[in-house]
Amino acid sequence: MAAPGPGEYFSVGSHVSCLTCLGQQLQGEVVAFDYQSKMLTLKCAPSSGKANVSDVVLINLAYVSEVDIINDRTETPPPLASLNVSKLANRARSEKEDKLSQAYAISAGVSVEGQQLFQTIHKTIKDCKWQEKNIMVMDDVVISPPYQVENCKGKEGSALSHVRKIVSMSSHHSFTIEGNTGMAVPES
Amino acid sequence: MSMKQAGGNRKPGGGAAAGAGRQNLGRGRHSTKGTSAAVVFNGVYANMRMVHVLTSVVGSKCELKVKNGLVYDGVFKTYGPECDLVLDAAHRKIPKPSEGPRQEDIVESIIFKASDVVVVHFRDVDLNFASKNNFTDTAVSGRINGEHKEKDLEPWDGGEQQQHVVSGSLESLDTDVSNGWDPNDMFKYNEEQYGIMSTYDSSLSSYTVALERDNSEEFLKREARAAQLAQEIEASATYKARVALENDERTEEEKYSAVVRGEKGERGEREPHTLNRENKYIPPGQRNREGMSWGVGRQNSPKLVQSSSGPPRPGLHDYSPSSGADQRVVNGGPPRMSPKTQRTPRTHRVPPGGRVPPGVDFMPHNAPGEVPVPPPTRSTSSGGTWSSVVSGAHRPRSPRQNSMGGASPGPSSLPLAQTGTTPVEPATTQSAPSPTAASPARDMAATPSEAKESRVQETRQNSPTANKENMKPLESPPSISRPLSKGPPSMAPDHRKQIDNLKKFSVDFRLQSSSNPDPQFEQMTKPPPDATGEKPKELPLDKGLEGSEEGNVAHTGSSKAGSPGAPSSSTLCPAPEQKRGPDVTSQGVQTSAPTFSGGAKPEDKEEKEPVKDQIIKSTLNPNAHEFKPRVFNTQHKPATTPTPPRPQGQPSPSIVVQQPQQVYSQTVCFPQMYPLTPVSPGVQKSIIWKSPAMYHVQMPHMTVSQSKPYRPGKVANMPQQRSDQHHPQGTPTMMHPAQAAGPPIVAQSPTYSAQYFTCSPQQFTSQQLMQQMPHYQSQAQHVFSPVMQSQARMMAPPNHGQPGQLVSSTTQYGEQTHTMYVSQGPMPQQYQHPQPSATPTGQAQQGGQHGGNHPAPSPVQQHQAAAAQALHMGNQPQQQMYQALAPTPPSMTPGTNPQSPQGSFPSAQQAVYLHPQQMQHGYNPSHMAHMQQAHMQSGMVPSHPGHPQMMLMATQQPGGPQLPQNALNPIPVSSTTHFSYLAHPQVQQHHQ
Repeated sequence: MAAPGPGEYFSVGSHVSCLTCLGQQLQGEVVAFDYQSKMLTLKCAPSSGKANVSDVVLINLAYVSEVDIINDRTETPPPLASLNVSKLANRARSEKEDKLSQAYAISAGVSVEGQQLFQTIHKTIKDCKWQEKNIMVMDDVVISPPYQVENCKGKEGSALSHVRKIVSMSSHHSFTIEGNTGMAVPES
Repeated sequence: MSMKQAGGNRKPGGGAAAGAGRQNLGRGRHSTKGTSAAVVFNGVYANMRMVHVLTSVVGSKCELKVKNGLVYDGVFKTYGPECDLVLDAAHRKIPKPSEGPRQEDIVESIIFKASDVVVVHFRDVDLNFASKNNFTDTAVSGRINGEHKEKDLEPWDGGEQQQHVVSGSLESLDTDVSNGWDPNDMFKYNEEQYGIMSTYDSSLSSYTVALERDNSEEFLKREARAAQLAQEIEASATYKARVALENDERTEEEKYSAVVRGEKGERGEREPHTLNRENKYIPPGQRNREGMSWGVGRQNSPKLVQSSSGPPRPGLHDYSPSSGADQRVVNGGPPRMSPKTQRTPRTHRVPPGGRVPPGVDFMPHNAPGEVPVPPPTRSTSSGGTWSSVVSGAHRPRSPRQNSMGGASPGPSSLPLAQTGTTPVEPATTQSAPSPTAASPARDMAATPSEAKESRVQETRQNSPTANKENMKPLESPPSISRPLSKGPPSMAPDHRKQIDNLKKFSVDFRLQSSSNPDPQFEQMTKPPPDATGEKPKELPLDKGLEGSEEGNVAHTGSSKAGSPGAPSSSTLCPAPEQKRGPDVTSQGVQTSAPTFSGGAKPEDKEEKEPVKDQIIKSTLNPNAHEFKPRVFNTQHKPATTPTPPRPQGQPSPSIVVQQPQQVYSQTVCFPQMYPLTPVSPGVQKSIIWKSPAMYHVQMPHMTVSQSKPYRPGKVANMPQQRSDQHHPQGTPTMMHPAQAAGPPIVAQSPTYSAQYFTCSPQQFTSQQLMQQMPHYQSQAQHVFSPVMQSQARMMAPPNHGQPGQLVSSTTQYGEQTHTMYVSQGPMPQQYQHPQPSATPTGQAQQGGQHGGNHPAPSPVQQHQAAAAQALHMGNQPQQQMYQALAPTPPSMTPGTNPQSPQGSFPSAQQAVYLHPQQMQHGYNPSHMAHMQQAHMQSGMVPSHPGHPQMMLMATQQPGGPQLPQNALNPIPVSSTTHFSYLAHPQVQQHHQ
């Protein structure tokens, strides 16, 4: 495409495709483009297929060939929403901690099941960490390999029972049954 | 200086703390300029969307490919201006799908240079993550809406199961009236599908005991007893009421929120009336409230009004009684309401009459006039004008009202009656001279003939109102007036209303036709809002005319006695002229000028301040409304003016004001002005302040954060405007303030004008001004700025539809303060392009400014003539007004308006700020010019030279208003003295 001028190479909202020098074909909607740094940001279909999320690709056009505009934008881009920076910072921190925690577990030789259990528990109880190969939940319950319900130990109480519940659910997940779908409303 | 700056800052910031005045000012300026460079962003940081998207993915896991093919996985931490990327907990991703990174593989954080990065892939990122949890309506609804759009709608397929279960097809569902599944169907379904047997027992034996019936006497007795109780209960009012609640089919909206149009309670009417402001007489307390409401927009105005009201009362009474009170009331209403609403309010005004309490006499008159509202169109138009006037006058009105209350008792009684009648004039005048409506009618007739068609219309309208009023007065003189005001609507609705309605209708009809013909009206009509404003203005004008007429009568009678009768007469003449057209206005100005020359000097002003104020007010009103307001102003002014030269000048300005009326049509400005106007209440005081400030400082203020400076020192100005508006009501006191303020304003006017202009532009732009001609806006602004308070007044009038009044005031000023014009002149020039700019700028800049200014006046007149167009007319008049105001202000300078003004100013300032941005294009030049002119003028003055420069600087800056404020702030200190110098020289020159 001809270069109209800085900032006009790509109009936000248009769909483009390009081929990187590494042979990766990328296609998506232009979210932003910085002329100075040659950085193009595309919003692509989510690789997981989930709704409400999308993949974001930051491309250095210096290493890209075959940039094609598939279609131009049809609507004016929406206004930029204000961002909660502290929320982003917290996410960055927690993501980093999670990764480090996971790496720690891997380094410790925790089994895949253990890692999965850890992730499962972590979804509902943020206060859990690795202690060697044991999973420490709320400093109260310790789950030791092989991470079964009977491996949950700690002070009897709601915490322990709750963790056991999670563990049992987690183990059940492996042989989850597809529930009967057509549950009609009983009761009057 | 610092104080002023602070004030300016506040204004820019919209009332921010004065502490960071300068900085704020600077910011404000920048913002106005639109080139805020608070922080310079480099590289990617300057790319908003890139920053946004990259920030949105902070904390997300990503894969980063570098040019050598390696892939790193990490948590995106941040990025640099050169688009360098930082990944936390990053590790080199290995092709083999092993487990995960080992601890030793992870690097705390890696910074990738943009030149090394090929692609960064963020997977499954929720781009709304950081914008979530914003539970604002927009955030929530916005996101939801977006999601809805993203979803593809798919036709629903019931599926086998559904069809199997439901005995029927989808079509059956459409016609199925039942509310969901029948319990038996559910039981059956569960039994068939899941083999579940329901234990449901319809007798609910688990929860209750079945009633065992028998024929025993005991049972029958109890059964009868139960039936009786049931009947009693169901027959009770309480039960019925509660049942009605449940079975009431009216919607919540109907029950609680809908506006009930059928039944017009006093309040309902009052509200509209308040909007109209005209007829209703608002008790002081309520007035204050109204003022407060206005104040929100015009925060200062209310206070000012109150303060002003106190002093002005004596003189004001005359003016206030007639139009002032009404206007005030209207103001209270109009600000809240839109022109249209205001219009309706007029009709409602009658109820407002009930409020009248404060100024009984006046109120009655007003009430009558308002009551007449009947004529829809006229009433509306009149209401609109009233409203406009009111807005402008609100503050004034309050003073007027106060004055009314106070004045009524005193000697001013006659004047008061007249003034009170101004709007209602007919009645008052009639009552005073003779109970006939004839005077109103005369006025009407006279004004019509003299004034343009529109004016005539206004006069006609007034006449109707007057007639009504007269009628009421006739029934019950002044004392009765209250009853009338309140009573007319409620008391003798039939006869009086019918008569009033008939009169109003006749008037209205006339007005409409005539209004259209008038150039001003045409201009007004051009912009829809303007049109509305025109109508309102017309009403004010009418009122003003009436008031002027009355004022003429009264002035001639009373004012003459007090001060030169000639002035009054002269003023009267001018007013009509102004109404008629620019030329007329100019003439009026001239005439007024003579009167001024003949009249007493500043000292006289004080003595005659009331009269002057009235005049000014009247002028303001005339300007705003074109017709009546101006007339009133002129009339009042003349009366007052005679004694003080400046007042005279004001009167002439008032004449000029008529042109401004167009500006007023921009009414929008008025609201902003209101804040200023509030200051007017202390018009006299404020005037004094203003005069000092006005001259030097004010000018700067005008340019910079004028509104603040103005308000403080200019509070007087505001009062002046109010006074102007009020003047009609309480000519004496009001006149004085107005006059006093006027002169100061004039001196200040340049700066003020600039600021005001900016402000007014904003207002106008935002409201109707935008629609209206740029010139008008600029003019209106100019007018405001010059007069400051007077402008504010002017502004207010415009809003109310009283623009004419403002204009008139401006014009008056212009006449008086031709020198002022110089500074103002520039303003006008820009606005008026043709004559004003040339004379003003050139003159203003150089020492010859004064001379130029003087020439300017004539030019102005010429302009007016040439500009016959309402816009031009308005501009010129305003300019004149400014000049005139400026001169007077110097004399007035003494007042300590700053504080109160400041309060009021903030709003004005804010408005101003806005204006700068909006207005900047056209206005800036004008402002600049004005500023320069002002500076020049100031320069002319001994001490001012330095200030003038400041002013110039401010003006020069795109954000003229803001910058000016800064400059102004410093200037003000010395400005006062300068003002005096400037004002006097200018004034003298003008007079000369």
